[in-house]
Amino acid sequence: MRTLVEVVARAGPGGRTVLPVVRASGQLAVRRTGPSTVHLVATAFGPLGGDDAEVRLVVEAGARLAVRTVAAAVVLPARGESPPSVQRVRAEVAGSLDLRAEPTVVTRGAHHHALLHAQLDDDAELTATEQVQLGRVGEEPGRWTGTTRVERAGTPLLHTTVGLGPGAPAWLPPVAPRAYASTVHAGAALARATGEDAVRLPLERGWVATAWGDRLAPTLGRLALLEGAAPVEEAQ
Amino acid sequence: MTAALLTLADSRLPAGGHTHSGGVEQAIAAGIVHDPRSLEVFLRRRLTTAGSTAAGLAAAACRAAGRDEPRRASLARLDAEADARTPSPALRQASRQQGRGLVRVGRRAWPTAAWDDLPPHPHHPLALGVAAAAAGLGPADAAQAAAYLSITGSATAAQRLLAMDPITVATVTARLAAEVDAVGAGADQAAAGGPAPTDGEPGPAWLPAGTDPLLDLLAEVHADRDDRYFAS
Repeated sequence: MRTLVEVVARAGPGGRTVLPVVRASGQLAVRRTGPSTVHLVATAFGPLGGDDAEVRLVVEAGARLAVRTVAAAVVLPARGESPPSVQRVRAEVAGSLDLRAEPTVVTRGAHHHALLHAQLDDDAELTATEQVQLGRVGEEPGRWTGTTRVERAGTPLLHTTVGLGPGAPAWLPPVAPRAYASTVHAGAALARATGEDAVRLPLERGWVATAWGDRLAPTLGRLALLEGAAPVEEAQ
Repeated sequence: MTAALLTLADSRLPAGGHTHSGGVEQAIAAGIVHDPRSLEVFLRRRLTTAGSTAAGLAAAACRAAGRDEPRRASLARLDAEADARTPSPALRQASRQQGRGLVRVGRRAWPTAAWDDLPPHPHHPLALGVAAAAAGLGPADAAQAAAYLSITGSATAAQRLLAMDPITVATVTARLAAEVDAVGAGADQAAAGGPAPTDGEPGPAWLPAGTDPLLDLLAEVHADRDDRYFAS
Protein backbone atom coordinates (compact mmCIF):
# COMPACT_ATOMS: atom_id res chain seq x y z
CA MET A 1 0.00 0.00 0.00
CA ARG A 2 1.42 3.41 -0.96
CA THR A 3 0.74 6.46 1.13
CA LEU A 4 1.62 10.03 0.22
CA VAL A 5 1.20 13.11 2.40
CA GLU A 6 2.05 16.61 1.19
CA VAL A 7 1.98 19.78 3.24
CA VAL A 8 3.24 23.20 2.21
CA ALA A 9 3.54 25.97 4.80
CA ARG A 10 3.84 29.55 3.56
CA ALA A 11 4.21 32.88 5.32
CA GLY A 12 0.86 34.67 5.23
CA PRO A 13 -0.33 38.13 6.19
CA GLY A 14 0.53 39.42 9.65
CA GLY A 15 3.28 36.86 10.28
CA ARG A 16 0.78 33.98 10.28
CA THR A 17 1.40 30.75 8.44
CA VAL A 18 -0.96 29.55 5.75
CA LEU A 19 -1.05 26.00 4.45
CA PRO A 20 -1.82 26.18 0.71
CA VAL A 21 -1.26 22.43 0.28
CA VAL A 22 -2.57 19.87 2.77
CA ARG A 23 -3.31 16.54 1.12
CA ALA A 24 -2.95 12.84 1.78
CA SER A 25 -3.69 9.58 0.02
CA GLY A 26 -3.36 6.00 1.17
CA GLN A 27 -3.24 5.07 4.84
CA LEU A 28 -2.74 8.51 6.36
CA ALA A 29 -5.09 11.46 6.54
CA VAL A 30 -3.86 14.91 7.48
CA ARG A 31 -5.85 17.36 9.62
CA ARG A 32 -5.05 20.95 10.34
CA THR A 33 -5.32 21.20 14.14
CA GLY A 34 -3.81 24.60 14.81
CA PRO A 35 -2.66 27.78 13.09
CA SER A 36 0.58 26.07 12.03
CA THR A 37 0.02 22.50 13.21
CA VAL A 38 -1.11 19.41 11.35
CA HIS A 39 -1.82 15.96 12.75
CA LEU A 40 -1.37 12.81 10.71
CA VAL A 41 -4.14 10.29 11.34
CA ALA A 42 -3.79 6.61 10.45
CA THR A 43 -6.82 5.39 8.52
CA ALA A 44 -5.89 1.69 8.69
CA PHE A 45 -4.08 -0.75 10.94
CA GLY A 46 -0.37 -0.82 10.49
CA PRO A 47 1.87 0.03 8.80
CA LEU A 48 2.13 -3.55 7.52
CA GLY A 49 5.20 -5.17 6.02
CA GLY A 50 5.59 -3.89 2.46
CA ASP A 51 3.75 -0.62 3.09
CA ASP A 52 5.45 2.48 1.76
CA ALA A 53 4.64 5.94 3.08
CA GLU A 54 6.15 9.24 2.03
CA VAL A 55 5.59 12.54 3.82
CA ARG A 56 6.68 15.60 1.82
CA LEU A 57 6.92 18.80 3.78
CA VAL A 58 7.80 22.23 2.47
CA VAL A 59 8.18 25.10 4.93
CA GLU A 60 8.82 28.33 3.11
CA ALA A 61 10.77 31.29 4.50
CA GLY A 62 8.97 32.97 7.40
CA ALA A 63 6.52 30.07 7.85
CA ARG A 64 6.24 27.62 10.75
CA LEU A 65 4.95 24.09 10.72
CA ALA A 66 4.49 21.55 13.51
CA VAL A 67 3.71 17.96 12.51
CA ARG A 68 2.24 15.52 15.01
CA THR A 69 0.46 12.19 14.93
CA VAL A 70 -2.62 11.26 16.95
CA ALA A 71 -1.48 7.85 18.17
CA ALA A 72 1.43 5.45 18.25
CA ALA A 73 2.10 3.64 14.96
CA VAL A 74 2.06 -0.12 15.54
CA VAL A 75 4.11 -1.78 12.80
CA LEU A 76 2.86 -5.29 11.99
CA PRO A 77 4.47 -7.93 9.78
CA ALA A 78 2.75 -9.03 6.59
CA ARG A 79 1.66 -12.67 6.34
CA GLY A 80 4.43 -15.09 5.45
CA GLU A 81 7.84 -13.66 4.56
CA SER A 82 7.29 -10.03 5.53
CA PRO A 83 9.21 -7.34 3.64
CA PRO A 84 10.08 -4.18 5.60
CA SER A 85 7.69 -1.28 5.80
CA VAL A 86 9.14 2.10 4.87
CA GLN A 87 8.36 5.63 5.92
CA ARG A 88 10.21 8.52 4.31
CA VAL A 89 9.93 12.08 5.49
CA ARG A 90 11.37 14.56 3.01
CA ALA A 91 11.45 18.12 4.22
CA GLU A 92 12.55 21.30 2.50
CA VAL A 93 12.75 23.98 5.13
CA ALA A 94 13.44 27.70 4.84
CA GLY A 95 11.24 28.57 7.85
CA SER A 96 10.78 26.48 10.98
CA LEU A 97 9.75 22.83 11.15
CA ASP A 98 8.94 20.91 14.33
CA LEU A 99 8.37 17.21 13.80
CA ARG A 100 7.35 14.95 16.63
CA ALA A 101 5.38 11.80 15.89
CA GLU A 102 3.97 9.56 18.61
CA PRO A 103 6.06 6.42 19.20
CA THR A 104 6.63 3.77 16.57
CA VAL A 105 6.04 0.32 18.08
CA VAL A 106 7.62 -2.44 15.99
CA THR A 107 5.98 -5.78 16.74
CA ARG A 108 7.57 -9.19 16.55
CA GLY A 109 8.55 -10.21 13.01
CA ALA A 110 8.14 -6.71 11.57
CA HIS A 111 10.97 -4.57 10.19
CA HIS A 112 10.40 -0.85 9.80
CA HIS A 113 12.63 1.57 7.88
CA ALA A 114 12.33 5.22 8.88
CA LEU A 115 14.05 7.87 6.81
CA LEU A 116 14.23 11.58 7.52
CA HIS A 117 15.87 13.70 4.86
CA ALA A 118 15.76 17.39 5.69
CA GLN A 119 17.22 20.03 3.39
CA LEU A 120 17.53 23.32 5.23
CA ASP A 121 18.19 26.82 4.03
CA ASP A 122 20.98 28.60 5.87
CA ASP A 123 18.77 30.14 8.56
CA ALA A 124 16.05 27.48 8.72
CA GLU A 125 15.10 25.81 12.00
CA LEU A 126 14.42 22.15 12.54
CA THR A 127 13.50 20.07 15.56
CA ALA A 128 12.74 16.42 14.82
CA THR A 129 12.15 13.72 17.42
CA GLU A 130 11.91 9.99 16.86
CA GLN A 131 10.54 7.55 19.48
CA VAL A 132 10.79 3.81 19.03
CA GLN A 133 9.71 0.82 21.10
CA LEU A 134 10.56 -2.69 19.92
CA GLY A 135 7.71 -5.08 20.72
CA ARG A 136 4.49 -4.51 22.63
CA VAL A 137 4.34 -5.42 26.34
CA GLY A 138 5.55 -8.99 26.79
CA GLU A 139 6.27 -9.40 23.10
CA GLU A 140 9.53 -10.21 21.31
CA PRO A 141 11.10 -7.14 19.70
CA GLY A 142 10.73 -6.27 16.02
CA ARG A 143 13.42 -4.58 13.99
CA TRP A 144 13.85 -0.88 13.22
CA THR A 145 16.33 0.86 10.94
CA GLY A 146 16.39 4.65 11.07
CA THR A 147 18.36 6.98 8.83
CA THR A 148 18.56 10.71 9.46
CA ARG A 149 20.15 13.07 6.98
CA VAL A 150 20.07 16.80 7.59
CA GLU A 151 21.70 19.22 5.16
CA ARG A 152 22.09 22.94 5.63
CA ALA A 153 22.70 25.03 2.53
CA GLY A 154 23.75 21.88 0.69
CA THR A 155 26.32 20.79 3.28
CA PRO A 156 25.59 17.64 5.30
CA LEU A 157 25.11 18.45 8.97
CA LEU A 158 24.21 14.98 10.24
CA HIS A 159 23.88 11.61 8.57
CA THR A 160 23.41 8.53 10.70
CA THR A 161 21.81 5.12 10.41
CA VAL A 162 20.85 3.27 13.57
CA GLY A 163 19.75 -0.36 13.46
CA LEU A 164 17.83 -1.93 16.34
CA GLY A 165 16.32 -5.33 16.95
CA PRO A 166 17.10 -8.95 16.12
CA GLY A 167 19.13 -9.16 12.92
CA ALA A 168 20.53 -5.63 13.17
CA PRO A 169 24.30 -6.25 13.09
CA ALA A 170 25.25 -3.98 16.01
CA TRP A 171 22.23 -4.78 18.23
CA LEU A 172 24.13 -7.10 20.53
CA PRO A 173 23.81 -7.86 24.23
CA PRO A 174 24.66 -6.60 26.75
CA VAL A 175 23.61 -3.34 25.07
CA ALA A 176 20.56 -4.24 22.98
CA PRO A 177 17.96 -1.59 23.85
CA ARG A 178 14.25 -2.07 23.15
CA ALA A 179 13.52 1.62 23.47
CA TYR A 180 15.23 4.42 21.58
CA ALA A 181 14.58 8.13 21.26
CA SER A 182 16.48 10.82 19.44
CA THR A 183 16.07 14.51 18.70
CA VAL A 184 17.99 16.48 16.14
CA HIS A 185 17.89 20.25 16.27
CA ALA A 186 19.20 22.80 13.81
CA GLY A 187 18.99 26.43 14.81
CA ALA A 188 20.69 27.07 18.16
CA ALA A 189 23.84 25.37 19.41
CA LEU A 190 24.11 23.34 22.60
CA ALA A 191 27.33 21.87 23.98
CA ARG A 192 27.92 18.16 24.29
CA ALA A 193 26.53 16.39 27.35
CA THR A 194 26.50 12.84 28.62
CA GLY A 195 24.02 11.01 30.82
CA GLU A 196 23.08 7.48 31.74
CA ASP A 197 22.49 5.74 28.39
CA ALA A 198 22.10 9.15 26.81
CA VAL A 199 24.37 11.51 24.93
CA ARG A 200 24.04 14.92 23.31
CA LEU A 201 26.47 15.84 20.56
CA PRO A 202 27.01 19.32 19.15
CA LEU A 203 26.39 20.15 15.51
CA GLU A 204 27.21 23.41 13.84
CA ARG A 205 24.37 25.67 15.11
CA GLY A 206 22.52 22.63 16.40
CA TRP A 207 22.75 19.37 18.28
CA VAL A 208 21.59 15.77 18.31
CA ALA A 209 20.55 13.98 21.51
CA THR A 210 19.97 10.25 21.81
CA ALA A 211 18.80 8.02 24.65
CA TRP A 212 18.10 4.32 24.86
CA GLY A 213 16.89 1.74 27.35
CA ASP A 214 14.40 -1.05 27.97
CA ARG A 215 11.23 1.00 28.16
CA LEU A 216 10.28 4.13 26.30
CA ALA A 217 8.93 6.31 29.12
CA PRO A 218 12.15 6.47 31.18
CA THR A 219 14.16 6.72 27.95
CA LEU A 220 12.15 9.80 26.97
CA GLY A 221 12.76 11.20 30.43
CA ARG A 222 16.51 10.87 30.00
CA LEU A 223 16.29 12.39 26.53
CA ALA A 224 14.30 15.33 27.92
CA LEU A 225 17.12 16.08 30.38
CA LEU A 226 19.41 16.63 27.42
CA GLU A 227 16.83 18.69 25.56
CA GLY A 228 16.42 20.97 28.57
CA ALA A 229 17.79 24.22 27.27
CA ALA A 230 16.51 23.60 23.78
CA PRO A 231 13.98 25.87 22.16
CA VAL A 232 11.48 23.09 21.53
CA GLU A 233 8.28 24.37 19.98
CA GLU A 234 4.96 23.48 21.57
CA ALA A 235 2.23 22.02 19.41
CA GLN A 236 -0.56 24.53 19.07
CA MET B 1 49.39 -5.16 -5.19
CA THR B 2 48.74 -7.48 -2.26
CA ALA B 3 51.91 -6.37 -0.49
CA ALA B 4 50.75 -2.73 -0.72
CA LEU B 5 47.44 -3.65 0.90
CA LEU B 6 49.23 -5.58 3.64
CA THR B 7 51.49 -2.57 4.26
CA LEU B 8 48.51 -0.23 4.50
CA ALA B 9 46.76 -2.44 7.05
CA ASP B 10 49.93 -3.28 8.99
CA SER B 11 49.97 -2.05 12.57
CA ARG B 12 53.71 -1.39 12.09
CA LEU B 13 52.85 1.44 9.67
CA PRO B 14 53.77 4.45 11.85
CA ALA B 15 50.51 6.34 11.35
CA GLY B 16 49.74 6.75 15.04
CA GLY B 17 46.86 4.28 15.24
CA HIS B 18 48.44 2.55 18.24
CA THR B 19 47.56 5.50 20.50
CA HIS B 20 43.83 4.94 19.90
CA SER B 21 41.72 2.16 21.39
CA GLY B 22 38.61 2.69 19.26
CA GLY B 23 36.47 3.01 22.36
CA VAL B 24 37.60 -0.23 23.95
CA GLU B 25 39.35 1.47 26.87
CA GLN B 26 36.08 3.05 27.99
CA ALA B 27 34.12 -0.12 27.17
CA ILE B 28 36.40 -1.96 29.61
CA ALA B 29 35.91 0.75 32.24
CA ALA B 30 32.13 0.46 31.78
CA GLY B 31 32.28 -3.32 32.20
CA ILE B 32 31.08 -3.97 28.66
CA VAL B 33 34.33 -5.68 27.58
CA HIS B 34 35.93 -8.08 30.05
CA ASP B 35 36.80 -11.33 28.26
CA PRO B 36 37.34 -12.71 24.73
CA ARG B 37 33.63 -13.25 24.15
CA SER B 38 32.63 -9.71 25.11
CA LEU B 39 35.57 -8.36 23.09
CA GLU B 40 34.30 -10.19 20.02
CA VAL B 41 30.85 -8.65 20.48
CA PHE B 42 32.38 -5.19 20.86
CA LEU B 43 34.50 -5.61 17.73
CA ARG B 44 31.45 -6.74 15.77
CA ARG B 45 29.54 -3.62 16.91
CA ARG B 46 32.40 -1.42 15.77
CA LEU B 47 32.91 -3.25 12.48
CA THR B 48 29.27 -3.02 11.40
CA THR B 49 28.82 0.63 12.35
CA ALA B 50 31.96 2.81 12.43
CA GLY B 51 33.87 0.23 10.34
CA SER B 52 31.26 0.14 7.60
CA THR B 53 31.03 3.92 7.51
CA ALA B 54 34.82 4.28 7.32
CA ALA B 55 35.00 1.64 4.59
CA GLY B 56 32.47 3.47 2.41
CA LEU B 57 34.30 6.77 2.80
CA ALA B 58 37.69 5.13 2.11
CA ALA B 59 36.40 3.50 -1.08
CA ALA B 60 34.85 6.76 -2.24
CA ALA B 61 38.05 8.70 -1.44
CA CYS B 62 40.09 6.15 -3.38
CA ARG B 63 37.79 6.66 -6.39
CA ALA B 64 38.06 10.44 -6.05
CA ALA B 65 41.86 10.29 -5.74
CA GLY B 66 42.09 8.25 -8.94
CA ARG B 67 40.42 11.00 -10.97
CA ASP B 68 42.23 14.20 -11.90
CA GLU B 69 39.36 16.66 -11.70
CA PRO B 70 37.56 17.72 -9.62
CA ARG B 71 39.57 15.84 -7.06
CA ARG B 72 39.92 18.59 -4.48
CA ALA B 73 36.18 19.34 -4.48
CA SER B 74 35.28 15.63 -4.29
CA LEU B 75 37.58 15.05 -1.34
CA ALA B 76 36.27 18.17 0.45
CA ARG B 77 32.74 16.90 -0.05
CA LEU B 78 33.67 13.49 1.34
CA ASP B 79 35.31 15.14 4.35
CA ALA B 80 32.00 16.93 5.04
CA GLU B 81 30.18 13.59 4.69
CA ALA B 82 32.61 12.11 7.22
CA ASP B 83 31.89 14.97 9.65
CA ALA B 84 28.13 14.42 9.27
CA ARG B 85 28.63 10.72 10.09
CA THR B 86 30.84 11.50 13.10
CA PRO B 87 28.93 13.93 15.32
CA SER B 88 30.94 12.97 18.43
CA PRO B 89 33.68 15.61 18.92
CA ALA B 90 35.97 13.00 20.50
CA LEU B 91 35.57 10.63 17.56
CA ARG B 92 36.01 13.45 15.06
CA GLN B 93 39.27 14.40 16.71
CA ALA B 94 40.45 10.79 16.83
CA SER B 95 39.67 10.34 13.14
CA ARG B 96 41.41 13.57 12.11
CA GLN B 97 44.47 12.79 14.27
CA GLN B 98 44.83 9.40 12.62
CA GLY B 99 44.22 10.93 9.22
CA ARG B 100 47.05 13.39 9.77
CA GLY B 101 49.32 10.57 10.95
CA LEU B 102 48.61 8.55 7.84
CA VAL B 103 49.15 11.54 5.53
CA ARG B 104 52.57 12.09 7.14
CA VAL B 105 53.78 8.57 6.35
CA GLY B 106 51.75 8.09 3.17
CA ARG B 107 53.14 11.19 1.48
CA ARG B 108 56.66 9.79 1.82
CA ALA B 109 55.82 6.15 1.15
CA TRP B 110 53.55 6.70 -1.86
CA PRO B 111 54.17 10.17 -3.32
CA THR B 112 51.30 11.44 -5.48
CA ALA B 113 49.68 14.77 -6.31
CA ALA B 114 46.41 13.65 -4.67
CA TRP B 115 47.84 14.22 -1.16
CA ASP B 116 47.85 17.96 -1.84
CA ASP B 117 44.15 17.88 -2.64
CA LEU B 118 43.16 16.54 0.78
CA PRO B 119 41.87 19.02 3.36
CA PRO B 120 44.52 20.03 5.98
CA HIS B 121 43.44 17.57 8.70
CA PRO B 122 41.49 14.94 6.78
CA HIS B 123 39.38 12.23 8.36
CA HIS B 124 41.26 8.94 8.53
CA PRO B 125 39.19 7.11 5.87
CA LEU B 126 39.96 9.86 3.36
CA ALA B 127 43.69 9.58 3.97
CA LEU B 128 43.34 5.81 3.69
CA GLY B 129 41.53 6.11 0.36
CA VAL B 130 44.20 8.42 -1.07
CA ALA B 131 46.97 6.14 0.24
CA ALA B 132 45.32 3.14 -1.40
CA ALA B 133 45.05 4.94 -4.75
CA ALA B 134 48.64 6.16 -4.49
CA ALA B 135 49.83 2.63 -3.73
CA GLY B 136 48.14 1.31 -6.86
CA LEU B 137 45.23 -0.26 -5.01
CA GLY B 138 41.54 0.04 -5.81
CA PRO B 139 38.43 1.17 -3.91
CA ALA B 140 37.63 -2.37 -2.81
CA ASP B 141 41.08 -2.62 -1.20
CA ALA B 142 40.63 0.74 0.53
CA ALA B 143 37.28 -0.41 1.94
CA GLN B 144 38.82 -3.69 3.04
CA ALA B 145 41.69 -1.95 4.84
CA ALA B 146 39.29 0.46 6.59
CA ALA B 147 37.05 -2.38 7.75
CA TYR B 148 40.02 -4.37 9.01
CA LEU B 149 41.60 -1.39 10.79
CA SER B 150 38.28 -0.65 12.51
CA ILE B 151 38.77 -3.72 14.69
CA THR B 152 42.50 -4.39 14.92
CA GLY B 153 43.37 -1.27 16.93
CA SER B 154 40.64 -2.08 19.45
CA ALA B 155 41.71 -5.72 19.65
CA THR B 156 45.33 -4.79 20.39
CA ALA B 157 44.28 -2.19 22.95
CA ALA B 158 42.05 -4.71 24.75
CA GLN B 159 44.87 -7.21 24.79
CA ARG B 160 47.13 -4.70 26.50
CA LEU B 161 44.56 -3.29 28.93
CA LEU B 162 43.17 -6.67 30.03
CA ALA B 163 46.51 -8.52 29.75
CA MET B 164 44.76 -11.04 27.51
CA ASP B 165 46.45 -13.96 25.85
CA PRO B 166 47.69 -12.70 22.43
CA ILE B 167 46.76 -15.98 20.77
CA THR B 168 43.19 -15.69 22.05
CA VAL B 169 42.91 -12.11 20.77
CA ALA B 170 44.38 -13.10 17.39
CA THR B 171 41.82 -15.90 17.24
CA VAL B 172 38.97 -13.49 17.94
CA THR B 173 40.17 -11.19 15.13
CA ALA B 174 40.68 -14.08 12.72
CA ARG B 175 37.17 -15.38 13.40
CA LEU B 176 35.76 -12.04 12.24
CA ALA B 177 37.56 -12.23 8.88
CA ALA B 178 34.50 -13.18 6.84
CA GLU B 179 32.49 -10.37 8.41
CA VAL B 180 35.29 -7.89 7.71
CA ASP B 181 35.27 -9.02 4.07
CA ALA B 182 31.49 -8.63 3.86
CA VAL B 183 31.53 -5.15 5.38
CA GLY B 184 34.33 -4.06 3.02
CA ALA B 185 32.55 -5.46 -0.04
CA GLY B 186 29.22 -3.90 0.92
CA ALA B 187 30.78 -0.49 1.50
CA ASP B 188 32.70 -0.67 -1.77
CA GLN B 189 29.45 -1.46 -3.59
CA ALA B 190 27.76 1.54 -1.98
CA ALA B 191 30.67 3.79 -2.97
CA ALA B 192 30.36 2.51 -6.54
CA GLY B 193 26.83 3.90 -6.64
CA GLY B 194 24.76 0.94 -5.58
CA PRO B 195 21.25 1.82 -4.49
CA ALA B 196 20.79 2.71 -0.85
CA PRO B 197 18.41 0.32 0.91
CA THR B 198 15.55 2.70 1.66
CA ASP B 199 16.12 5.24 -1.01
CA GLY B 200 16.51 5.21 -4.74
CA GLU B 201 19.27 7.80 -4.90
CA PRO B 202 22.82 6.50 -5.26
CA GLY B 203 25.87 8.71 -4.83
CA PRO B 204 28.26 9.87 -2.12
CA ALA B 205 25.46 11.34 -0.02
CA TRP B 206 24.16 7.83 0.59
CA LEU B 207 27.38 6.10 1.54
CA PRO B 208 26.99 3.86 4.61
CA ALA B 209 26.27 5.84 7.77
CA GLY B 210 26.06 3.10 10.39
CA THR B 211 26.18 4.61 13.86
CA ASP B 212 26.26 3.14 17.34
CA PRO B 213 25.12 5.68 19.94
CA LEU B 214 26.85 3.56 22.59
CA LEU B 215 30.23 4.19 20.92
CA ASP B 216 29.49 7.94 20.82
CA LEU B 217 28.67 7.94 24.54
CA LEU B 218 31.76 5.88 25.44
CA ALA B 219 33.98 8.22 23.40
CA GLU B 220 32.62 11.34 25.09
CA VAL B 221 32.89 9.91 28.62
CA HIS B 222 36.41 8.73 27.81
CA ALA B 223 37.47 12.17 26.59
CA ASP B 224 36.66 13.63 30.03
CA ARG B 225 38.94 11.22 31.90
CA ASP B 226 42.43 12.31 32.89
CA ASP B 227 43.63 8.79 33.72
CA ARG B 228 43.35 7.25 30.27
CA TYR B 229 46.10 5.35 28.45
CA PHE B 230 44.71 5.86 24.96
CA ALA B 231 43.80 9.03 23.08
CA SER B 232 40.38 7.60 22.21
